[in-house]
Amino acid sequence: MDLDTYRTGLDQWLDEHVAELTPPYAGVGTMQERVDHLSKVRRLCFETGWARWGWPEEVGGLGGSTILRAYLGEALASRGLVDPNFYSTPEVLAPAVIRAADPRLAAEFVPLLLSGEEYWCQGFSEPGSGSDLASLSCRATRGEDGWRVTGQKVWTSFAQFAQRCVLLVRTGTQESAHRGITVLFVDMDTPGITIRPLATIDGSEEFAEVFFDDVPVPFERTVGKPDGGWAVAMDILPDERSTSLWHRGAILNRQMDELLAKAPAESLSPTAVGETAQLLLGFRARSRATQYRLASGERIGAETSIDKVLLASAEQAVLDLVLEGLSQQLVLGDDAISAQWRADFFFSRAASIYGGSAEIQRNVIARRLLDLGPDR
Amino acid sequence: MMEESDLELFAQSLRQAIDRHKGENLDAALAEIGWFDALATDAQTAIAALFPILGTANASSTALEGVLAVRLNASSGPGRVVLPALDGWEPPGVRDGDLLTVRGLLMGPVDDGEVLVIVANGADGGAAAAAVSSSLLNFRTVGGMDPAARLMEVTGELPCPELSSVEQDTWEQAIALGRLAIGYQIVGAARAMLELARDHALNRVQFGQPIARFQALRHRLAETLVAIEGAEAVLEAGVANTTPFLAANAKAIAGRAGRTACRHCQQVLAGIGYTSEHEFHRYMKRTIVLDSILGSTARLTHDIGAQLLSVGHLPESLPL
Repeated sequence: MDLDTYRTGLDQWLDEHVAELTPPYAGVGTMQERVDHLSKVRRLCFETGWARWGWPEEVGGLGGSTILRAYLGEALASRGLVDPNFYSTPEVLAPAVIRAADPRLAAEFVPLLLSGEEYWCQGFSEPGSGSDLASLSCRATRGEDGWRVTGQKVWTSFAQFAQRCVLLVRTGTQESAHRGITVLFVDMDTPGITIRPLATIDGSEEFAEVFFDDVPVPFERTVGKPDGGWAVAMDILPDERSTSLWHRGAILNRQMDELLAKAPAESLSPTAVGETAQLLLGFRARSRATQYRLASGERIGAETSIDKVLLASAEQAVLDLVLEGLSQQLVLGDDAISAQWRADFFFSRAASIYGGSAEIQRNVIARRLLDLGPDR
Repeated sequence: MMEESDLELFAQSLRQAIDRHKGENLDAALAEIGWFDALATDAQTAIAALFPILGTANASSTALEGVLAVRLNASSGPGRVVLPALDGWEPPGVRDGDLLTVRGLLMGPVDDGEVLVIVANGADGGAAAAAVSSSLLNFRTVGGMDPAARLMEVTGELPCPELSSVEQDTWEQAIALGRLAIGYQIVGAARAMLELARDHALNRVQFGQPIARFQALRHRLAETLVAIEGAEAVLEAGVANTTPFLAANAKAIAGRAGRTACRHCQQVLAGIGYTSEHEFHRYMKRTIVLDSILGSTARLTHDIGAQLLSVGHLPESLPL
C-alpha cells in the first residue's frame, strides 16, 4: 500500500463517515465521553483496516510503511475527529512492546490497543523521579511465582481508563540507577493497584497517581530482560517524539487555521502571525523528515529532541496567539467552544514539560548532538 | 537528478574550489567545475550543494546572481543579474516611458562593458528584462558592515533599451530560488559560528573546568542547533517543492536562525567574540548582510503574516 493510494482511499472513507466519526459532544467533553468516542473511532478504523496499515502483521497489522500511521493520525486530527493527546498513545507504547516483549505478548495485546478495545498507560514518572528518571524507586521483588510490585507512579495519563500499564520498576539496588530497572506489562485490574486521578490546570482528570501495594505480576510479563529496562525505556523516548508529534502538528495547523478565520480584524499583529506560522512550519518540516527517516527503517534517537523543542515552541506560540486573538472567548466565554480553546491553551503550556522537559531536551542536544562532554 | 555518490564528489570539488580561490577566481573555478551547468539542469540540487559551503567558508561569490539568471533564462554561464535594492524584492528597474531607472545590488565587482541583466517593472505593471552594458550604469563599491562581501550598489538612469517581457511568475520563481540560496548560505554561516562557539566552550577553562560544563552555555548552543536544524528542514522542503510561499518562509526562518546563532555564539565566545582577531565577526557581519538581501526576516515575516491575515486561512503546505 503506497501513501497516495492510502491517502485517497482514507480521505474518501472519512468524508463518507464523517457523521459517525465526529465527536457527539461539543467542545472538550467529559473524560468518559472522550474515551468512549476515541474507542469508537479506533474500532471503526481498525475494522475497515485503515488503522492496521503501518503495523506488523504479527500484531494484527497489515504491514506497510509507518508513514501510513503518520497520515492516519494527521487525517483524523486535522478534521477534528480525535484529540492527538489521546489518540497517539499507541505510537508511543506499542513500538517498544513489539520490539522488546515476548512476541506472543505483543501478538495478544497490541491488536486490542489498536482496535480501541483497551487503553494502555505509561508508568514512568514518580514523585521523586521526574527528569531524573533513572532514580526511580517503585520496586519489584522476585516472589516464588512472579514479581511483587510496591511503590507509586504519577502523571500517568489515562490510568483510570487503562487496562494495561507499561511500567518501569526498580529491580536492582537503588544505587544501580539505570542498570537496575525492569519494564513490566501490568494488568491494571490486578488487586493492590489504586488510582487517584489528578485534575489538570483546566480541571480535566487526564492524569493520575497510581499506587502499587504488593501487586503480583507474572514473570512472563517482563518486557525485555530483567534489569534491562533502561534500554527499553530509552527506546520509547524517541517514539514519543516522532509519529505522535506529527499528529500534534496536524492539530496545531488546524488551530492556527481556525484562529486566522475567526480572530477579529486588527486583533493580531502581522509580524506575530508570520513568526508563529514560521515556527509551525519549521517544526512540521523537521517532523516530516523524521517520519520519512522512520519509514526508511532508520532507528531514530537523540536527534528527535530537536523535534520536541521545535514542537513546544511552535505549540506555545500558536496558543499565545489564540489567547491574543480570541481573548473574548478564552477569558470570558462559558460555552463549549470557549472551553475547548481554553483547554488547548492550557495544554500548550505542558508541551515544554511532558515527555522530557524542554531543559532535558536541551541537555540531550548538548550532550549527544553537540558532544559538549559531561555536564557535571 | 544526481546520484548520491556523484553529489558527494561534486560537493567535494566545490569545497576545494572555495578553499583555493577567492572572488572572480572562485566564480571562474565554479564555472570550470560545472556548477553553472548543474544550476541550469537542476537548480535546486546545485543550490543546496553550493550555498551552505559558501556560508561556512565565509566566501563571496556572484553565484546568487547566477541563480536568478538561470530562472530568467538570461544565461547559461555565470550570468550577471542586478538584484533588488537592499531589503526588497521588487525588480531593480523601473520603466517610465523611454526612461529606465535602476537601483539595485550586485554580489561582486563588474568589468568594464560587462553586460548585466536588469528586470524592470513598467507603468503597465508587467515586468521586462533588458541586457545593459555596465558602461551605462553607476557603481559604488560597498564597504558598509561587511566589505568582504564585495557588494556593489548599482544606480542609473538611461534611455530604455530593447526589452523582452518577463512573466510575473518567472520573477517570483527567480526570487524564490534566490531566497533558498541565501537561506542555505546563512545556515552555513550559522553552523560555522556554532562550531567556533562549541570549540571555545570546550577549551576555555574557568572555575577549574571547561565552560562547556555550564548549563547556561550548553542551552544557548543547543538552542542554536535547534534553530539551524529547523531552518534547514524548511530549506530542504523548499528545494523539494519550490513555491514562493515556502521559499519566503524558508529565508525568513534561516535569517532568524542566523541571528539566533549570532546572539548565542557571541555570548558564549564573550570577549574574544567581540574582537576582529577572532573569526566570529566575519560570520556575524555576513549573516546580517545576507539577511537583508531579497527581503529581511523582519520584512518577510510581516509580509507573510499580513497575507495570512488577509486570506484568513493557513495554506496547506508540507503534506506527507
